[in-house]
Amino acid sequence: MEPTFDLPDSTDWLATPLKLLAPLESSLRCQVCKDFFDNPVITSCSHTFCSLCIRRCLSTEGKCPTCRSSDQELKLRRNWAVQELVEAFTNARPSVLELASGATNSAGDAEVMGEVNTEQPASKKRRLEDGVNGAETRTEEGVRTRSQSRGITLPVQPAAIEIIDDIEDEEYILDDGLVPCPICQRRMKNEAVFRHLDTCNGDQNGPAESKQAAFGSLSTGPRKATRDANPNPPERLPAINYSLLKETVLRKKLKDLGIPNWGPRALMQRRHTEWMNLWNANCDSRTPKNKGQLLRELDVWEDTQGGKSSTPTDTTSTVMRKDFDSVGWSASYDTDFKQLIVNARKKSEAAVRSTIPSALPADSDEPQSAPIVETAVEVPTPIYAII
Amino acid sequence: MSSMTQNRLFREYKTLSENPPDGITAGPVSEDDMFHWEALIQGPEGTPYEGGVFAAELKFPKDYPLSPPTMKFVGGGVWHPNVYPNGTVCISILHPPGDDPNHYEHASERWSPIQSVEKILISVMSMLAEPNDESPANVEAAKMWRERRSEYEKKVREEVRKGLGL
Repeated sequence: MEPTFDLPDSTDWLATPLKLLAPLESSLRCQVCKDFFDNPVITSCSHTFCSLCIRRCLSTEGKCPTCRSSDQELKLRRNWAVQELVEAFTNARPSVLELASGATNSAGDAEVMGEVNTEQPASKKRRLEDGVNGAETRTEEGVRTRSQSRGITLPVQPAAIEIIDDIEDEEYILDDGLVPCPICQRRMKNEAVFRHLDTCNGDQNGPAESKQAAFGSLSTGPRKATRDANPNPPERLPAINYSLLKETVLRKKLKDLGIPNWGPRALMQRRHTEWMNLWNANCDSRTPKNKGQLLRELDVWEDTQGGKSSTPTDTTSTVMRKDFDSVGWSASYDTDFKQLIVNARKKSEAAVRSTIPSALPADSDEPQSAPIVETAVEVPTPIYAII
Repeated sequence: MSSMTQNRLFREYKTLSENPPDGITAGPVSEDDMFHWEALIQGPEGTPYEGGVFAAELKFPKDYPLSPPTMKFVGGGVWHPNVYPNGTVCISILHPPGDDPNHYEHASERWSPIQSVEKILISVMSMLAEPNDESPANVEAAKMWRERRSEYEKKVREEVRKGLGL
């Protein structure tokens, strides 16, 4: 419908025969941002969110958004299992969705997918046979579309499978009938090893073939480690009790952190909180971003919610500020204030009339509720906000 | 944050348009501004609001979903104990859990980032069916609802007819 409207979403499954995948996908999405879990962490109350989402929630409210039990940022723990689920699902998603949508186009029938699913383990040979002979068998059953859908979708499927470069494959053992020396790894005949050991000096720069084997076995160690966790994760930022810090100290602190330190105290506090959330969420990442990227994210925050946002979200805090331009404010809203006063006078007069009907008998004939409602529509919101 | 907020609003819009709850439609007024939505709610059956279609506008803060949106009926407002005469809706799901100006709402009923536009609109629909007169936003309507129910229902029905241009 519109360019930005094609965000992937759990409802994508609803138009396919695989409707039941919609709740599966929903459960792999964060309840706060509705996106797939990004660096999922689990709370003390066992609810999982993106690291950044829950940190923002906790820094504003201190409570779990799902069950509202109190929690602290420090108690969050990474949820690797969920991260792997999300990675696996998002990898598989495009091809499964394509397959499912294809099935819908040729036959909008849930039965089709059920059958295709059961046939997936079948050998390629069998699928090909189906493509050729299937039409006859299906016509007997009276559902011709099934064979058609299979004929179209299945041959495509093997191409969609990604070939994952599996680390186990590199760890092969040369089957050359030789054995390696336990010291230098050089491969030789079994009988030769003992004689060789007497003279072996541990020098591994042997012939090319032995080098290859040694490389294979050594390389798996460090590589696996980098996959599991970053060896030097960035250090986390501690939370600050802002009320204990003087404004100048806070300003210096922001400068030391390398983030903008302009603006009033409240803005600096909010900026520091956002930076702390961005930073600490990044510490939960398997592939942390560098500081420059985080600073750019802080810039986005500054433009939308921080000091550069066009619409100040909280007018009361601007009014309360020390450097607030009260003269300019009252000048620009002068007519509004006067109108409010006029309306308020009208309303209180109406209230007097309605509570003491005998005092003003001429006006008391009017139905009481009607004028109140009418003035109510004219009066701008603040009057009612006070009630 | 902003793109996160916009993406979330897009997803909610998408879910609502592809799988809308009964009697509810909602979406941004313009695709350029995801922070300003329009919603239509059908009056619940078996209530004086039945047959009516009520238009409302929703305004989302920049830090949505950390903070709740505001909701306001447009086009004459709605005569209801929990709707301010200017149309602003006053129900607990639209109130952030931090402050409780009315001192009667359970934290569990209030806004949380896991709530959604859909849940708000469903709550508003059930609010139309079952007013809460403990903390009326429209005192007159609350009094009428409590003390002169038939008059209240008559007034609502008249407004519904008027709203439909009958």
